[in-house]
Amino acid sequence: MNVLRKLTLCAALTAGIVPASQAQSSISEASALSLLPVAVSVAAPVMIFSAGVTLSVVTVEASATGMVVVLERASDGALATLRFSGQVAGAASLAVGSAVLVTAVSTGWVLSAAGQALAFIPNQIGAALLYNERITR
Amino acid sequence: MRRLLIGLLLLATAAAHAGRPCEERPLAVGDVERGMHLAEAARQRLDASGAQVVMIGRVGQDLSQYGLHYSHLGFAYRDSEASAWRVVHKLNDCGRAEASLYRQGLGEFFLDRMQRYEAGIVVLAPDAQQKLLPLLRDNQRVTQWHTPAYSMLAYPWATRYQQSNQWALETLAGALEPAAGTRRQAQAWLQLHDYRPTTLRLGPLTRLGARMTRANIAFDDHPNDKRFSDRIETVSVDSVFAWLQRSGLGAATLAVY
Repeated sequence: MNVLRKLTLCAALTAGIVPASQAQSSISEASALSLLPVAVSVAAPVMIFSAGVTLSVVTVEASATGMVVVLERASDGALATLRFSGQVAGAASLAVGSAVLVTAVSTGWVLSAAGQALAFIPNQIGAALLYNERITR
Repeated sequence: MRRLLIGLLLLATAAAHAGRPCEERPLAVGDVERGMHLAEAARQRLDASGAQVVMIGRVGQDLSQYGLHYSHLGFAYRDSEASAWRVVHKLNDCGRAEASLYRQGLGEFFLDRMQRYEAGIVVLAPDAQQKLLPLLRDNQRVTQWHTPAYSMLAYPWATRYQQSNQWALETLAGALEPAAGTRRQAQAWLQLHDYRPTTLRLGPLTRLGARMTRANIAFDDHPNDKRFSDRIETVSVDSVFAWLQRSGLGAATLAVY
């Protein structure tokens, strides 16, 4: 744990969640639930989020302000702590004991199971592209 | 009698689906990768454009049967404090009959199940940019031409409903014309300036099916003479882009992949 290096990514995110639309067949689109949790901060050893690495979910703690997920790398037991803000729909997929695959992309890392994205960890490029604010209720 | 009962049962089933909740299917890894990649490509193009405010469209569904390319429209503006681009647009919540305004990043705008990972950007005329920029930052002013009641195929010259592209178009009109403080006035200004909506040919069965199974489609705001001759007019992204260029309010569409 003492090798953990704290990285703070995309602190500017207010909600940290991303909408996904349902299929529609009209010329003006709808949107749907926010499904993909976006990490607002990460405490992890360097390189734990490398392409192809499999991590297992150790703990998931939900609170009024968000959710904290601890992941463990099977090969050496290294831990990573991800914090998500706000109500994180779809986070139920991050169940304790489940395994997630890390995919590196140009804008960050995607955590997935069976090809389905469970969470996104933006790097600096990705963080600058993410922001979510509902203007009207 | 039996046939009638079956018919009623079918209608009841269809009505029960109206307003159904959103599909909770996670995005595929590839959706996230391509959506974020497009967001970054759009950011680079926007930065290079030197613009402060543009109109931006995405291809969320295949509309080629209607001769249309883009499916959803918003404004993107440069947020100098955050050194980032923000998109202000209107989204229908989970297929319900209402919609809300959102301010999002380019990432959120494209993190969806896109039909094609392609953005269309129209740089607005300098005067339009100047008028829109303070408005888009202001959560009060930006809602001035917003109606929550939503229909995907809202009539462009009525105010009962408002779809997403229509909100953007009317807000542009309201920003440009100080006297267009209401939706009705914004629509009058758009008519005066020769905005022409898209006309879809939708027969009665298509209309009935859409109305019965979707909470977010209605046709009762369309004039009877057009509706019953299968002509459904509405605001498409393509029609807005064409009008912007025709009127000199915007440049040619830049496609980003």
